[in-house]
Amino acid sequence: MEEKVLEILEEYCEEALSYAGDNMMEEGVIDSFTVINVVSELEDAFDIEIDAKYVVAENFRNKEAIIELVARLVEE
Amino acid sequence: MQFLSANFVILWVISFALYYLVPKKRQWVILAVASGLFYVAGTGGLPIGLLLTGAGAYACGLYLKRSLEAQKTALSVLADKERKKAVKVGFERRRKRVQILYFVLGLGTLLCTKYMVVILPFLQEMGLITPLGDAFFSRVVMPLGISFYTLTAIGYVVDVGREQCPAQENPIRFFLFLAYFPAITQGPFNRYGKLQGELEREHKFDFERMLSGVQRFVWGAFKKLVIADRINLFVGNVFGGAGGGFPGSIYALAVVLYMLQLYADFSGYMDMALGVSETFDISLPENFKRPYFSKSVAEFWRRWHITLGTWFKDYVMFSFVMSGTGRKIAKNAKKRWPGSGKHVTGIIGTMLVWLLTGMWHGRTASYLLWGVYYGVIMCVSLVLEAQYGVWKEKLHIKEGKGYGFFAMARTWLIVFVADVLIRSESLSQAGEIYRALFMDFRLKEGILQVTSCGISKYGFLLLAAACLLWLAVSVCEERGKDVRRMLTESPMVLRWCCYYGVVLLLLITGIYGGSYDTAAFLYQSF
Repeated sequence: MEEKVLEILEEYCEEALSYAGDNMMEEGVIDSFTVINVVSELEDAFDIEIDAKYVVAENFRNKEAIIELVARLVEE
Repeated sequence: MQFLSANFVILWVISFALYYLVPKKRQWVILAVASGLFYVAGTGGLPIGLLLTGAGAYACGLYLKRSLEAQKTALSVLADKERKKAVKVGFERRRKRVQILYFVLGLGTLLCTKYMVVILPFLQEMGLITPLGDAFFSRVVMPLGISFYTLTAIGYVVDVGREQCPAQENPIRFFLFLAYFPAITQGPFNRYGKLQGELEREHKFDFERMLSGVQRFVWGAFKKLVIADRINLFVGNVFGGAGGGFPGSIYALAVVLYMLQLYADFSGYMDMALGVSETFDISLPENFKRPYFSKSVAEFWRRWHITLGTWFKDYVMFSFVMSGTGRKIAKNAKKRWPGSGKHVTGIIGTMLVWLLTGMWHGRTASYLLWGVYYGVIMCVSLVLEAQYGVWKEKLHIKEGKGYGFFAMARTWLIVFVADVLIRSESLSQAGEIYRALFMDFRLKEGILQVTSCGISKYGFLLLAAACLLWLAVSVCEERGKDVRRMLTESPMVLRWCCYYGVVLLLLITGIYGGSYDTAAFLYQSF
């Protein structure tokens, strides 16, 4: 799963892979357009639905947080 | 009640003293009373709009809380996974309906009231309705801070529904969150999850913090009185001038100055609001991060009025894209245009956000056009972002300091074009200015006229010196230096010389009216 998430991130936002901070959205590493594309790809890849309530800075603070979010939603 | 008024300073000083004198568990009561007084003094009577908006949000919050509790109880007695899922979906659907209803009613009412300000006087003039009086407008149609507290209330309801924060049971505490006086008239937009913790915790008096808050307040007043209000003399003359007909060069200078005025005025207000709040040991979110250092328009809007941008992104853009309608549109677009279809919902969401942002800022066609202008630029730049790298490579462009400055200048130009629209008195005046900029620049004539448009030669020199000081502070901050800390940690003599120097500058060079009133803050009218 982790590999697939990183693959999607690499396609849409390569910078996210090397980003070491914890505020990717507010620092402009990943813009809202890219977030929308990444969410759409993640939904298709893992057959999950990512509600707007999950699309917050906290869940997109870095690549690890995105992986965590996907793992949580897949489990549900 | 303006921040820069004797009444406000009295309110601030008295509430500050009481705040640290009363038992710490009751500190919030002092803030609630101060906020009530501030608001009632500003509107001149019972704040009907605020009470209705707040009561609605408070009731929705309680409903959502009860619904979450009922869902928990219902799920705890069920064993079947499918049945559990169905029950959960049912509860979630009902909660979503309440959130959408409040969102639509809140935003709809806000936009209607904005246009009512234009429509009602027109109907009055036509004799179709009886005269309503100024009190009706200021208390019912367009009360103080409506654009700010409405969005804050909507954000609260959505956040409770999304389980991002708990609902507030105490109505007075809730109204304090909604109408906290440093932020009620111009923001920043607060999130309940963050501000409530600040309002609820106990606060100890700290002399250094108090000084730091006052320091920030004075810096904000400096930006407002010495820079923004001085520029206003020139800009007001040129845009509201008798008959217009200025050379393009004068218009160019007026627009550049207006860009600075808007920034100094609004960020000055924010410094004052955050400074006042800091003296109460309550931190508010930053609204500006030196936007004129941005290398793209997207970055500019991440640094300018940050809390408004975040509000629209979280509650409009993502809510639309992740809604049933948004998903359907995305699915169809991907089928129809396999390569570029993925961008469709993002484009619609961006345009929706910018149309609403335009309508939120003003009620004229110019603001709508301003919103469309930024929406189109955002969409084009985001869609073409991947291409930029390819083009840069082909053109052998390296991202050094030179390119960085070029990118900043490009951003200024885009903002310049947009600001002509919102500062002009009408679309036809904006058209006249664009024409003069390209076809009637008359630089020599402009140089001769420049000191006869509201600011004298010495006024310009003073303005330039104040702007240089502001630029120096901004450059330091951009390089990661904490200027305020540097000042606080500097030797006492130097520090107090700086404090007295800025206060003296304010008193001697600030722009005051005949009765020592300042010009109204620009964002207060949005």
